[in-house]
Amino acid sequence: MESSIIKERVSDVLVSVLEHNNFEMHDELTAKDVDGWDSLSHMMIITEIEEHFNIRFKLRDLNKLKNMGSLISVIQSKI
Amino acid sequence: MNLLLDIQEAIEKNDTQNAFYFGDTFYTYKEFAQVISNIRKGIQDHISENDSTVGLITNDDIETYASIIALWLEGKAYVPLNPEFPESRNHTVIKQAEINSILDSSTDKVFDQFKTIQSNTLDIAEINLTPRQIGPNELAYIFFTSGTTGTPKGVPITFGNLSGFIDAFWDLGYEITNKDRCLQMFELTFDLSVMSYLAPILKGACIYTIPKDEIKYSYIFELMEDHELTFALMVPSILHYLRPYFDEINCPAMKFSLFCGEALPLDVTQEWSQCIPNATIANVYGPTECTIFCTDYTYKRDSENKTYNGVLTIGKDMKNTTTIIVDEDNNEVGIGEKGELCLSGAQLTPGYWKNEEKNKEVFFDKEHEGKKVRFYRTGDLCTVDDQGDILYLGRVDFQAKIQGFRVELSEIEFHAKTVLDKKNSVAVAFINSIHNTEIGLVIESTAFDTKQLIEDLKNRLPQYMIPTQIRFIDSFPLNTNGKTDRKKLKEMFN
Repeated sequence: MESSIIKERVSDVLVSVLEHNNFEMHDELTAKDVDGWDSLSHMMIITEIEEHFNIRFKLRDLNKLKNMGSLISVIQSKI
Repeated sequence: MNLLLDIQEAIEKNDTQNAFYFGDTFYTYKEFAQVISNIRKGIQDHISENDSTVGLITNDDIETYASIIALWLEGKAYVPLNPEFPESRNHTVIKQAEINSILDSSTDKVFDQFKTIQSNTLDIAEINLTPRQIGPNELAYIFFTSGTTGTPKGVPITFGNLSGFIDAFWDLGYEITNKDRCLQMFELTFDLSVMSYLAPILKGACIYTIPKDEIKYSYIFELMEDHELTFALMVPSILHYLRPYFDEINCPAMKFSLFCGEALPLDVTQEWSQCIPNATIANVYGPTECTIFCTDYTYKRDSENKTYNGVLTIGKDMKNTTTIIVDEDNNEVGIGEKGELCLSGAQLTPGYWKNEEKNKEVFFDKEHEGKKVRFYRTGDLCTVDDQGDILYLGRVDFQAKIQGFRVELSEIEFHAKTVLDKKNSVAVAFINSIHNTEIGLVIESTAFDTKQLIEDLKNRLPQYMIPTQIRFIDSFPLNTNGKTDRKKLKEMFN
């Protein structure tokens, strides 16, 4: 899957969990930049992404998710 | 103070051992001793002899931990100030604790308007870990916890209290040596952090902290596996996060896995015990007022464990604590009967910082075994069985535990009311789908956009106190006593 498509779908997941779209998708985007993306919603976002792409993150993957770019590439490596 | 002499001896004896691991850097005890001595000299040069409390910006680095020891060697108490907390809250704490000086390891100092010693720019000083003459009634730290009227309340802990805790902790037999690698997962404004750095220092063990920008639970897992941690005190919410990944975790090096700060469910504990096959698991309990923790229960791998509603017992009082369970008139209740858990002993705080009103409310004297003893009401509803094990049933008041932090729901309501221009609201703590506690806010009003409300609350309260879900209701339901039916409101979040 192309990363632009993955990015779009991740964006949809964020909107559905966080209930707003006040963010711009780019590779350097981090949780800190997005309202409401805290440790609680992070867990929900991860679960939603797993279901949406039908993949499963390993615990080790979670530490690699430093920003949107790394999230997209970890997802890409799993589908 | 023997405790401080013990710290000195341990640091000097283990100078070649690793003391800390931050991010990806190890520091030896020798390096630690050097940083302590530099900061100590800075304190001597810049802070008045009469200043007994000093603010400490809680960064995750060697200077911050060295500042604590340096202050103690000088007989001064530290008051942790989290730079991520709202400025207004930190200002309240600074004012209340009568802080004149702040130790800060940040490159750009956090508070411009206060006298700050930047602990990472000090000159090299001669190593000096010999403590001054310090009495047991002098303060080691003051931690501020959530207060009911919108003002945090200070809990001062003396060196005598802290010595009482350490003595009782070693008595449990959860042994640490200079070969051990210990987790310190707590923000320094949370008193479980004290146990997590102090016990390892006293034995020359290595302390592993969590960088602020990491996701706690997955980072803990990597530390456990990559660095073969042997000792870990955690809050149970970490287990709830890790639970979906238990099948990936195998850490045979772990020797002691302690839990504190929240109810510990038996089923999760059983599953966790498979991830750490060689570890002793313990459930410890205690409020900040009774110095870190004061009761202990060792989980039994091979036989039945005592529970109430699926929650493990908090066990028996430790060596230097006495517990009783009382009714509303402070009379002890019988075995198996419910009542409020009260604590006394060497670990008990001398009382809230400059808050006589609150002290009268929660401390009382009572004849116990022929002596007049001062007890503290914990606000925890408990019962004790015929073997002396205490079972935790819930809170008697409106407090909640969020990620181990004690939260007065009324403090959230107080600020919500101010922000909402007198609209009524009720804060409730509810258990979400992954068994962690979340805060919900019900507002007595027709629905409106709550973005501004959340923004305003964030300027007044720490992140863990911000409601994560909001509901609206035309008018609050009342219970048979004519009070707001909080139970019904809580059901709105299921």
